[in-house]
Amino acid sequence: MREGTGGGAPAGEDAYLSLQHLGKRYSDFTAVHDLTLNVPRGELVALLGPSGCGKTTTLRMIAGLASATSGRVIVNGNDITTAPPYRRDMGVVFQSYALFPHMTVAKNVAFGLQMRNVAKPEIERRVQEAIGMVRLGGMEDRRPRALSGGQQQRVALARALVIRPSTLLFDEPLSNLDAKLRDEMRTEIREIQQRLGITAVFVTHDQAEALAMCDKVAVMNAGRLEQLGAPVDLYERPANPFVASFVGRINRLPAVAHGKSAKVGAHELRLTSTLNGEVEVMIRPHRIAIGRTGEMGGFNQVPGVVKRVTYVGDLVQYDVDVDGLTWSVEQPTTAARAPDAPGSRVDLSWRIADTLAFAKRA
Amino acid sequence: MAAATDDINGKDRFGLAAALLTPIVIINAIVFIVPIVNLLRISFNEALPGGGIGPAFTWENWVNLIEDSYYLEILLRSVWMSALITLLTLFCSYPIALYLHRASGAWRTFLFVLVIAPLLTSAVVRTYGWIAMLADNGLVNTALSWFGAPTPFRLIFNLTGIIIGLTEILMPYMILALLAGFGRLDPRCEEAALTLGARPLQAFWRIVVPLTAPGIALGCFFCFVLCVSSFITPRILGGGRVFLLATEIYDEAIVTLNWPGAATLSILVLIVFGAALALYTRALRRLD
Amino acid sequence: MEEKSTGWPLKIAVAILFVFLLVPVLVIIPLSFSGESTLKFPPASWSLRWYAAIFEHEEMLSGFRVSVVIGALVTSMTLLIALPAAYVIVRLKSWGSEFLYNLFTAPLLLPTIVLGLAILIIFASAGLLGTFTGIALGHLVLTLPYALRILATSLAGLPIIVEEAAATLGARPFTVFRRITLPLIAPGLLSAAALSFLVSFDEIVITLFLAGPRVSTLPVEMFRHLETRADPLIAAIAVLMISLTLTVVLIIHRSVGLSKGFLR
Repeated sequence: MREGTGGGAPAGEDAYLSLQHLGKRYSDFTAVHDLTLNVPRGELVALLGPSGCGKTTTLRMIAGLASATSGRVIVNGNDITTAPPYRRDMGVVFQSYALFPHMTVAKNVAFGLQMRNVAKPEIERRVQEAIGMVRLGGMEDRRPRALSGGQQQRVALARALVIRPSTLLFDEPLSNLDAKLRDEMRTEIREIQQRLGITAVFVTHDQAEALAMCDKVAVMNAGRLEQLGAPVDLYERPANPFVASFVGRINRLPAVAHGKSAKVGAHELRLTSTLNGEVEVMIRPHRIAIGRTGEMGGFNQVPGVVKRVTYVGDLVQYDVDVDGLTWSVEQPTTAARAPDAPGSRVDLSWRIADTLAFAKRA
Repeated sequence: MAAATDDINGKDRFGLAAALLTPIVIINAIVFIVPIVNLLRISFNEALPGGGIGPAFTWENWVNLIEDSYYLEILLRSVWMSALITLLTLFCSYPIALYLHRASGAWRTFLFVLVIAPLLTSAVVRTYGWIAMLADNGLVNTALSWFGAPTPFRLIFNLTGIIIGLTEILMPYMILALLAGFGRLDPRCEEAALTLGARPLQAFWRIVVPLTAPGIALGCFFCFVLCVSSFITPRILGGGRVFLLATEIYDEAIVTLNWPGAATLSILVLIVFGAALALYTRALRRLD
Repeated sequence: MEEKSTGWPLKIAVAILFVFLLVPVLVIIPLSFSGESTLKFPPASWSLRWYAAIFEHEEMLSGFRVSVVIGALVTSMTLLIALPAAYVIVRLKSWGSEFLYNLFTAPLLLPTIVLGLAILIIFASAGLLGTFTGIALGHLVLTLPYALRILATSLAGLPIIVEEAAATLGARPFTVFRRITLPLIAPGLLSAAALSFLVSFDEIVITLFLAGPRVSTLPVEMFRHLETRADPLIAAIAVLMISLTLTVVLIIHRSVGLSKGFLR
């Protein structure tokens, strides 16, 4: 298992935004430990983790709204660690939108350009362009309080984009929106970011969002970087139990390993790597097939008894009892076969390659 | 003005904060801290004849205060008068506060404004209003004479006038305090009592009053301390013939020029305040 | 809130009590138009003589001038001093800010008679008795806490994140203050200014201790007048004072709304 892999492109070469050993320490606790992260130009990187993991603090340090107690923030080769926020040329979209309540939509969007002393006719042109880009044409003279949540979010986005920043920073911008709007905005934001080719950092606690939107995902926990990688890498090859259980659903089973196999309860499972001693075996619920199949090569298999069946439309969720432990199994529903009823004896089987195992942390 | 940032440039921020606070700290020191501390000290200075403060430390002022029955009289008069006024104000204010609490919308705002409006005029103006009311030729006496009463009643330049006037003058404060304490009064509690068989008056005594008790305690405390230290109204409506703590302080300071004596009386007022506060806190604790 | 049908006894009691509450102030108005030379209500004759008489009383005119000048002076000083203090208190999130807030609003807890005496003694040795400066400083001790309260509440209602957003868009700290903070707390500033002026204009007890033969305010002159006689002159002046107060309040109401302005 790889612990806290810092990474991405090697520092200074391809990285547009580089965090080097960045840390934030308060008198009674440390929010961010020694974070090293490199973001290549034009990439959208997610900072993903549970509340309190330090992702927002990290974002605020990048924006200049919080001071780093150690480490450096480098953008395009320039060390901006001590630069104040109004000199960092970043577009920030906040969770609560933070629109200026006393200004119209147009004035909100124009603000950043005014700070940069752009000529008036140019400001008007660019404001119109930005408002058009977020599809809010016609709303220029409205006040924020007359707008819906989704519309306010678009204004916040336009305001950040219009200044053509070198970097875009998003602080959980979609968490106050309802599900359908979130999906829409998610696609729009991604589309705009890619079209303009702006390097961006996106903070979120929603792993589905992170996986769907971003080029790379940095999983954080308790102030440390657990793993940085493309969504598929995080999902298929998690570096540790935290990442494995945070990204996607997973079964966690205590086991004892000896070499290339481990004993879970009364059953032997084959592993993909060599381990010894106490381990945690982790298997994704939908990688497990359920049914009476008999012995299969290349697969691990355990018998169990179905305890509960939950029908969710697209999926059926099973709680299966295996030697006293409850395993979670998910299967897509098919018209061809009715779900196994509670009480039935079943075999659970899955590819050996889908068996993740990690040594138990001290 | 590192407005938003956590602790950007910690030291700079501290310097800036200190700079922004300096004016208010200086003013507070000049017109609040230093004078009050000095006052405490002055009460232990000797009073020079003809005015002025001697440098020597002495218990004289306090001894005087305790021994002279005149001061005891003044203290007692101030306290019981304030207690009486507090009760009267409570009875006059409670119905208004209750009604206001139950009102809503524009009507409520309107009434609220009516209650607060008197507070925006000077104490002198309000007291003068009472002169117009209570004078021998004033509104009350004239109205009573129309009913054939043996006027004029002496309602002014005596304790009676002070009591009537102060009661009305303090009503807005009491109403505001009561309203603040009425927050806990859910109309549904009264309704529940009624559905359980209580008649309106019973519901009032057994539900409304106990629930509003914290507000009552706050209002009474507030009203009492304002009363004990009230100067303008007692002075004018008392015609200079009713002697209370506040008027005595003024006389000693301005007329007799006995500043140490006045200071001592001021501390006495603060002690009465402290006692009232202690009573109030105990009442609050008992109510919870 | 549900309308509860209140009983008639309560409504009648409330009506009577409201009359009791408001009549003393209201009775002054007709009295000011009295044609009598002494205080009599209701007056037997009506005239404007007492309004005219104001102009024959130099001490009242000068008192008014002094009150207005001091009022303006105190209001501007109050805003300049209280706003930075409120800013520090609201943005500095720690135990310190609560302590500071309590410290600076403490003067309101003491009776004015005690404050007046205390300040008198200190100012006597500083030669500040009977001066504009002295009286203005004396008023500040009362207006600062009120203004601080209003401004702190106003600032607290302005989410920091909006100021942060402006900073990320390139606004330097002073620009943030000028273009974002100030406009958004304008109602609070206006309320604080109005209240400071009114408190200063109406202030009597502390001023009584600090006023002198040459510098005296209108309330003080009215008090001195009442110490010896009670005639409708004071009624006329009172009506003018009340009108001034009403004007200020109306201005606030028009720009800010009475409920937001004063009812905290």
